[in-house]
Amino acid sequence: MSTRQASVHAKWIIGQVIGTKMKKTAKVRVTRLVLDPYLLKYYNKRKTYFAHDPLEQCTIGDVVLLKALPEKRSKHVNHELAEIVYKVGQVVDPLTGKRVAGTQYLEPLTESTEDTEVSLMEKLEQLNITASTPPSAS
Amino acid sequence: MPMKGRFPIRRTLEYLQKGEVVFKKSVKIMTVNYNTHGDLSEGARKFVFFNIPQIQYKNPWVQIMMFKNMTPSPFLRFYLDEGEQVLVDVEGKDHKEITNHVKMILGKSDKVLEAEALAKMELSNPANFGPKKYFLRECISEVEGQVPHPGFVPLPKEMTGKYRAKLAAASDE
Repeated sequence: MSTRQASVHAKWIIGQVIGTKMKKTAKVRVTRLVLDPYLLKYYNKRKTYFAHDPLEQCTIGDVVLLKALPEKRSKHVNHELAEIVYKVGQVVDPLTGKRVAGTQYLEPLTESTEDTEVSLMEKLEQLNITASTPPSAS
Repeated sequence: MPMKGRFPIRRTLEYLQKGEVVFKKSVKIMTVNYNTHGDLSEGARKFVFFNIPQIQYKNPWVQIMMFKNMTPSPFLRFYLDEGEQVLVDVEGKDHKEITNHVKMILGKSDKVLEAEALAKMELSNPANFGPKKYFLRECISEVEGQVPHPGFVPLPKEMTGKYRAKLAAASDE
């Protein structure tokens, strides 16, 4: 019987890319927090999903947002790449928009519009400070 | 014998059930980016340590992911349905402030929660009897003060059918 299910339970998921050896498909590992029934502590449980990546833009280690496809693309591929959240090696801080590496900013935060070549003397000349005539002493 | 671990109260059902944040239906993914060192991430670290288990317990279908030491400043990111994203900066905030803020922006309000609890209570009426899975009691005999099943406690002679039949026959004659 060929009753194709509409879609899978997970509509939006986030995971890390672990394999790109397939053509136009990325293997993504998704971790969910699952409660251990005796310890009552949450642990990460992994599951791998295959995602359709038409432009082959994923590399291993990217954190990726997947969207469920309306129809199954193939036996295992039910999701497609929605966006690359954090590209490995080129993480962009969403708050400032600057490139970031760990806890360091790669780009300077304050944008300096001045030309750093201009020396201090030239800057003083531009200010045009001249000794004003002293007021008539009483 | 006390419980093991740093704050073992986090691992009690009572603590987990006391979680206040219940997300709206459109929230699908929650991502927390924080740093393991630094004063500014302290609130975020406490939030992950104390409040994430409560949130996950109350929202079992929301995927929660933690990222450590990826960016200099800590933040929360929510991915809603239809591709909408919500960014919450938590730098320098206390974990209680973070939970209150999240509850305010993406959590169901107290009124909605109460209404839902009331609707759930209305579905199950304690006055009904039936299988243990769906109802409180199976038979009226389980209630204290009512006539118990003769299988457990023999009925007094006056209530048995055969004595009554004998009486009826004797009075007819």
